[in-house]
Amino acid sequence: MKLTRKQVILEDLSNALKTATHEGHCRLGLLTSVDGTQLCSLVLDPTLGTAEYWETPLRNSYYRSLTAVLPETHWFERANWDLFGIIPNQHPRLKHLLLHEQYKRGFYPLRPQPLVHERAEDTDRQFHFLEVQGEGVYELPVGPIHAGVIEPGHFRFSCLGENILNLEIRLGYVHRGVEKRLTEIPWTKARFVAEAAASDTAAANALAHAIAIESLFELEVPARAQVLRTIALELERIAMHIIDIGGIGTDIGFLGFSTSMSRLRGKALGLAQLLSGSRFLRGFILPGGTKPVSAERLAAMLHTCQQLREDLKPVIAILEENLVATERMDSFGKVSRSLAREFGLVGVAARACGIEYDTRAHFCQGIYPKDAPPLSVEQNGDILSRTRVRIAELWRSLDLVEKLLSETCAGATSTTSSCIELPQQLPPDAVAAGIVEAFRGELIHLIVTGEKGQIRRYCIKDPSSNNWTALSIAIRNNLIADFPLCNKSFSLSYSGNDL
Amino acid sequence: MRKLLQYLLEQGVATQKSICPPLDDDAQGLPTLTASACSGSSCSACQEACPTEAISVAGSESNEARVSLDLGCCIGCGLCIETCPTGTIAENRSTQTAASRREDLVLTNETTELTARSIEERPTIFANSLHARVVSTGCSSCDLEIGAAFNPIFDMERFGVHVVASPRYADALMVTGPVGRGMQEALKRCYEAMAQPRLVMAVGTCAISGGVHKGGYAEANGADSILPVNVYVPGCPPHPWSIIHGVLVAQGKSTVGPAVLRTK
Ligand code: SF4
Repeated sequence: MKLTRKQVILEDLSNALKTATHEGHCRLGLLTSVDGTQLCSLVLDPTLGTAEYWETPLRNSYYRSLTAVLPETHWFERANWDLFGIIPNQHPRLKHLLLHEQYKRGFYPLRPQPLVHERAEDTDRQFHFLEVQGEGVYELPVGPIHAGVIEPGHFRFSCLGENILNLEIRLGYVHRGVEKRLTEIPWTKARFVAEAAASDTAAANALAHAIAIESLFELEVPARAQVLRTIALELERIAMHIIDIGGIGTDIGFLGFSTSMSRLRGKALGLAQLLSGSRFLRGFILPGGTKPVSAERLAAMLHTCQQLREDLKPVIAILEENLVATERMDSFGKVSRSLAREFGLVGVAARACGIEYDTRAHFCQGIYPKDAPPLSVEQNGDILSRTRVRIAELWRSLDLVEKLLSETCAGATSTTSSCIELPQQLPPDAVAAGIVEAFRGELIHLIVTGEKGQIRRYCIKDPSSNNWTALSIAIRNNLIADFPLCNKSFSLSYSGNDL
Repeated sequence: MRKLLQYLLEQGVATQKSICPPLDDDAQGLPTLTASACSGSSCSACQEACPTEAISVAGSESNEARVSLDLGCCIGCGLCIETCPTGTIAENRSTQTAASRREDLVLTNETTELTARSIEERPTIFANSLHARVVSTGCSSCDLEIGAAFNPIFDMERFGVHVVASPRYADALMVTGPVGRGMQEALKRCYEAMAQPRLVMAVGTCAISGGVHKGGYAEANGADSILPVNVYVPGCPPHPWSIIHGVLVAQGKSTVGPAVLRTK
């Protein structure tokens, strides 16, 4: 989407952001920098479906932290320290987020010129976990390698007996330098890297990337492409919600249910494969449109999609009707609405706390915001609420895919091509963003081009960056044994956060 | 509970009977090289299209033109297959793509008949039971496909494979992801904690070469930059059948299979 550019001086930034987000209807999409000499804030206005890009020049490589005023900035500020060496003074818990001890001090990968004689040089990269003191309090370290088949991250529990007093999450283990890589390669090949930011979210990442590139060119893609993109985005949600709902079964010990779900997920992946040739929709959405899809394949998809819904019905009912399962989820792992707002939660985790925010209803992506599915919202903020939101969204996405497929099969748009050619050179000194509702929530790709049209800065904000904090909040005063289930109910991405 | 049992009984057996069959017709397979002559560097369309520098084309005359294709770098985007005007690069629908030597993943149009790939099948002590520790260092789709390989459709457990929660019980270390600096220490320690004999499997293109991430400041250049790797499973992500094939290779029950070309 096109962004309105604004200059905001450092002295005003905190107040301006506070006014926009607390008193206005806006939300802070992300806070980053281009090359370490400025702060850039993306301020989204969901009611208008617009966004502003604020640039705040920095005189030094430090400034007064915004976290105390805007808690949702706490991870952004940590990431900016790692990537640019910008120090947010008086940040309540300034720690490295992405780069660990292995990296040299004073190494800031996204800052083109090295920092000279700044205080940043003096801080080591040692990670100090928050220490909880008191009689009988002990620490339980878990990870980075987990027991199951899942991405790595470290959880440090401080417990009293079986009770978790505090959970500190340390990430960054899968930092691969994705954002830097995206500035090094020709933009025409960037889509493959953008997808690999978190390839369980390949369709949403590809879509956000494509929208950002097309907005730089100020080009619209054909209607057929919009429809096919929407189908891809929703198929990803269907497949991943199925696995996440099934995973809840695994952690409750309701194995017959979870195995049935994993079998049905195969059907959803089959749909993705019919559409794109890839079970993960890799390479399907590209700047300019989508890969072509034949009418036969779409017809076959419609059939499978109807079948999938019928197959899912009895299985989901088995979970919903099982009292042991629902009681296991009820009132555990709670996040209050006020904290959810303060920390800027997104996606399923936010909607489970009664926050009505789904970017499909606000920002252009595929056919949306037109025909966006109704919001799925719950009020309790617990594991059960998150599961119920997922189940409701699963049905709604199936509805939508079925509707779009039958319309497309009826031939409304089938004659037009699904892709347009884009110019070779990106426009110079431009900025644009793609905002997409991935299955985990609000996903943002921001591109800033330089004077020759090269990509100067490529910033990805995965929904998980907002939501990891929610896991720490939710698990407080729950039992250690509740953690796997609670963790699953958030279903967060490590790689999307670590990049 | 009764409902669940009834449902499960009604569903019957979902498991596929044939082992490592070719990919479905609608799936995109990895590229392979055929005997059709390549027109050399005057074309180079594949090399330019490839997002991961997996292909290099040398020589200009038709008879000297050499293409080399490194499946260990390939993410299976299919662009080279689409752009190749001479049919030198074609789509391979086989899922038997795992190899025990890194060289076997590098194809050239001089050795298309898989001459390099003649390692004998030799059942190892893991032939009937292989306990694997999965360490992810990447973006999770390979992990999801390993998970899928255990679902009722593919049912990897029937080959004696189990995922264990500690390296102490593990025979094989399955590595996914490009192994960036943040994970190198943890991965090494995990390997060192395993009893011998032990195997390392690099599952997915990232784990083999770093994939789209290789050569960056995070030094995410694949598992064999820090550990000895015994089995390579290419793909981004590899199909569950290819992962199972990797396990069969690790068990000494299979080797990389012949290409199954898509007939147009
Ligand atoms: S299919 Fe593989 S080798 Fe061919 S262009 Fe894509 S990544 Fe490169």
